[in-house]
Amino acid sequence: MKQTPSGFRPMGEEYAAYLRDESRTTGHAETISFPTTEQEIVEAVNACRESGSRLTVQGGRTGLAAAAVPFGGHILNLSRMDKVLGMGQTADGFTLTVQPGAVLSELRKKLAAKKFDVTGWSDASKDALGAFMKSGVWFFPPDPTEASATIGGMTACNASGARTHGYGPTRGYVTALRVVLPSGETLALRRGQVFAAGRHLTLTTEQGTTLELHLPTFTMPKTKNASGYYIEDNMDAIDLFIGSDGTLGVFSQMELRLLPMAPQVWGVTCFLPTVDDALTFTSLVRGMKLGEVSMEYFDGNALDILRRQKAEKTAFAALPTIPETAGAAIYVELHCQTEQEAAEKLFAVGDALEQAGGDREVTWVARTESDLDKLMFFRHAVPESVNMMIDERKKTAPSITKLGSDMAVPDDKLFDVMALYRRTLKEEDLESATWGHIGENHVHVNVLPRNEADYARGKALFVRWAEAVTEMGGAVSAEHGVGKLKASFLTVMYGQAHIDEMAALKYTLDPQGLLGAGNLFAAREGGRS
Amino acid sequence: MSGLRIDKDLCIGCGNCANACLQEALTVDSYAEVDSAKCILCGMCVDMCPVSAISIEKEESGIDKSAYGGVWVCAEYLEGSLHPCALELTGKARELAAQLETEATAVVLGDESADACASQLSYAGADKVLLVTGERFAQPVEEVWAAALAELVRARKPEILLFGATEFGRSLAPRVAAMLETGLTADCTLLEIDPETKLLRQTRPAFGGNLMATIVCPDRRPQMATCRPGVLPMPELDETRQVTAERVSPDVPAAQKALLGMVRQAAAGKSITEAKVLVTAGRGVGDKKNVALVRRLAELLGGDYAVSRPLVDMGWAEYPHQVGQTGVTVAPDLLITCGVSGAIQHLAGITGAKTVIAVNTDPEAPIFARADYAVVGDCVQVLKALIQELENGTTK
Amino acid sequence: MNCIVCIKQVPSTNEVNLDPITKTIIRDGRQSVTNPYDTFALETAVQLKERCGGTVSVLSMGIPATERLLRDAVSRGADRGLLLTDRAFAGADTLATSYTLSLGVRRLGDFDLILCGKMAIDGDTAQIGPELAAHLGIPHVTDVLAITEVGDASVTVETAWQGGVRQVKVALPALLTVQKDVNQPRMPSIAGVKRGLEAPVEVLGAEAVQADAKRIGLTGSPTQVVRTEAPQRDSTAVYIEGDASQQAHKLAELIAGLTEGARA
Repeated sequence: MKQTPSGFRPMGEEYAAYLRDESRTTGHAETISFPTTEQEIVEAVNACRESGSRLTVQGGRTGLAAAAVPFGGHILNLSRMDKVLGMGQTADGFTLTVQPGAVLSELRKKLAAKKFDVTGWSDASKDALGAFMKSGVWFFPPDPTEASATIGGMTACNASGARTHGYGPTRGYVTALRVVLPSGETLALRRGQVFAAGRHLTLTTEQGTTLELHLPTFTMPKTKNASGYYIEDNMDAIDLFIGSDGTLGVFSQMELRLLPMAPQVWGVTCFLPTVDDALTFTSLVRGMKLGEVSMEYFDGNALDILRRQKAEKTAFAALPTIPETAGAAIYVELHCQTEQEAAEKLFAVGDALEQAGGDREVTWVARTESDLDKLMFFRHAVPESVNMMIDERKKTAPSITKLGSDMAVPDDKLFDVMALYRRTLKEEDLESATWGHIGENHVHVNVLPRNEADYARGKALFVRWAEAVTEMGGAVSAEHGVGKLKASFLTVMYGQAHIDEMAALKYTLDPQGLLGAGNLFAAREGGRS
Repeated sequence: MSGLRIDKDLCIGCGNCANACLQEALTVDSYAEVDSAKCILCGMCVDMCPVSAISIEKEESGIDKSAYGGVWVCAEYLEGSLHPCALELTGKARELAAQLETEATAVVLGDESADACASQLSYAGADKVLLVTGERFAQPVEEVWAAALAELVRARKPEILLFGATEFGRSLAPRVAAMLETGLTADCTLLEIDPETKLLRQTRPAFGGNLMATIVCPDRRPQMATCRPGVLPMPELDETRQVTAERVSPDVPAAQKALLGMVRQAAAGKSITEAKVLVTAGRGVGDKKNVALVRRLAELLGGDYAVSRPLVDMGWAEYPHQVGQTGVTVAPDLLITCGVSGAIQHLAGITGAKTVIAVNTDPEAPIFARADYAVVGDCVQVLKALIQELENGTTK
Repeated sequence: MNCIVCIKQVPSTNEVNLDPITKTIIRDGRQSVTNPYDTFALETAVQLKERCGGTVSVLSMGIPATERLLRDAVSRGADRGLLLTDRAFAGADTLATSYTLSLGVRRLGDFDLILCGKMAIDGDTAQIGPELAAHLGIPHVTDVLAITEVGDASVTVETAWQGGVRQVKVALPALLTVQKDVNQPRMPSIAGVKRGLEAPVEVLGAEAVQADAKRIGLTGSPTQVVRTEAPQRDSTAVYIEGDASQQAHKLAELIAGLTEGARA
């Protein structure tokens, strides 16, 4: 057995935070390391493989499915690999090459200010930057709520956000990926270069090893989806690794595609008397084909929580006053080339609103950065308030946590799934607040347990929903990823046979099952925890 | 006609001007060209040109400047006391007057009790004190005081007129400037006489405190400026100086407002301007909860705490604790700054501090240029350790 | 109660980045916005209209694109706008700007109150309000927090004064400068945006408002910026080295010495 690399540190009190993520699940581990180069990742992977130690990859620990929570062994934390390594110019724009630990919010700042540390950049990168400086505003579209997410983490779970409705998830913006495989060998993948033949994929490592991979035979739902591996006939190899939840390899570098920012970014929060009116409004707006980039929903319970927060807590005093008549709200964001186009589309949204029972006068339109910030503060205040409520309730019922669903269904099932949620919540007498990406029929129903009994009934309800959503042709996890918390839903969705196919694919690359143990599949025996 | 001129023989086509132009009025091909429809003559490009190829030409609309002489200070006297900045400004006026070989004059407005200020102002450097006092001037009413000052200036023609940039000074001075149709520079941190032109060079922070702008008023008189309290040094009072006071009685209109009194007094406790020891927090403290550490250190040292502007903007502290150009100016014996980077506007508020200890992670932070003692490190860690040290009383 | 609100277009941030080597300005992709202080003045005026009736007009001097901000103000409750724009206005300092605005006020006709933001974030001078009042020969009150009473010939306001709050009753017509954060400026509604786009916004040049050419723009501006530079930074500070606890220990000694000296 090789010696433990010098970068491995025993877990102590000072590293306790690394046992948790935003899912508020706590794991356990023996050692942690903070590599700064791909070579150090390779050394760490080799050391774990040779000692049979499990290995969990971490980025910003902002995930909600506990994929970064260690189930024993070693924590490979990539937060110190946070550099922007270069820039490229393509026929239709620019690309950025980053290390996996690069933080989204920092990246946004750099893109907005056009300020990069160019130490070590190639001449080609510097030339691209020169062109970039002179060419308007560019952005990286994926926008998960938690902007302290890392690009590596976002790639691993194929992160989404409000704007995914218009721009799609992270997948479409990763154009190249370097992967350290559990064998210690490396893969360099570039979109458009290596494809599967049907459901068979042949990969060659940079060290010359050929890998033959049998891809699972399931058909993915035609909805927003982050449930298990991305698999389709003749697929691009890079897509297998994007969204693989840290189970197939460790990302050491990625290239991202940037888009030009639309000159006009307008957001509008519309209020509707009832949830049904809000659903009608959603279908009307979708039918207008306005190209809106987000449609975000808030039910009456979510609005009530905000009303209370505004009244009680000074931190939320800056929230705009929610109209009394509102029983639901929908935020629509438009990205347009001209002010005229934006205005026309905004007025069309107004028409849909009146038709659905709302009022054009009772809306909040944001056309400036500061107003857009106000509306974002409003949207983000909902989950923040719910977390605060749960923390309060934990004082009397310590074992409860927030139960947040993450399921999506096809367009024609929107009314059905919303009716199902409401009916069953009422039957089970559970308190809840619902918000999320209604444009993709993907809302987060948050059960707010008052006690342990509520918590248990809520958990059981989620399993029923997973079955019903699968029945509707939907996805059990549309954006958070499966991680460790939703592995059982994945079985409901695809059935054990397909899960076994996915597991077989993983074990081809990671025979000992060390990497991301517990993610997607129940952890297999053999790995030393 | 006034406008931007680019000397094509000098221009090297470097593009600095186009980069600097916020209006995108400049384009650079082989040399710079200006789109005068877009240009707002802000002058940013002029300063950025490495070869001085850009200038702003201006039609002169001069007055007879030779008729003007003397340096005046409007000495703020409110609610029975002379504002300390009146003495600071008078000291400065004395210095400027010496360079111009003229007299320094202090003007006091107020009720009759203000007459008593004459001696102090004389000791601070005024060659003459004009007393505009009496019932009509008992209240600080801008339209009345401004009319009085304008009339006096028209009659006696001082070349320089200075105000304290206090709440009231910032309200009064522009009214006077507009009545006299002359220029006014707000919140100066530096006033000096140009040795060649004899113009008053007025320097103030600009562009969020990243730059210092020096401003002159070449063709109108008087040259007017306001100056923050505490920025100029307090002059030594020379009690041997002769006191020359003159009562004047300008015609003024009736007041159009009534000051109805306070509905809420300033929060109890001393103002941070009086603190001998002051501990300040800047953005580098990272979290609202760390402001408590700053408060604790201040308490241990028997002083007060203050913050920089971003913290007030973020709601981490109240405005009365804000130090800087748009907040309060302070002059403690000991100032300890924690995570304050030191934008010029903040530095303008601490000019008067005697000893400055700065703690900041960024060794390049401008605060270190002002500091007497520099601690490069995480201010939260240092604060925690220092508080522990002081609480344990290990150092005496 | 007829109000005029003066607004200014400013860059969305007042921070200017300087290239550390060349000392040239690095321009970022910034948006031009209504001076944030002015948004509180507008909201004050719109609330006053809702309370007492009357109209709200918005007035600005600026480049032609400023029209967009006037329409935005209409979408937030103002009734009409007037933009003064002319090459001859370029290069104006506060004196020339306030004179030009006074011509706009005269053009807008009868009014009871003029509301301005306390200052602009790109200049921080806080001079336009008092100077405009002087040109118009009306009283002004600065640092207003709230309008508490509205009478036929006067209003009573609360202002920030020496750390507390003072009441001032001022005769109409008058000019008020409004502090920041005194209210929550509203966002426009979809219907408001439509009104903004369709609103009457007059755009006038120097001749149309009969401006005296000697009092506007650069020519009418007494002040001149002669130099803009990054400040000198040469430190003479004594550096206190070590880790946090060592630094704290040395500081404690130092502070003990300094405060000792002060007492002596």
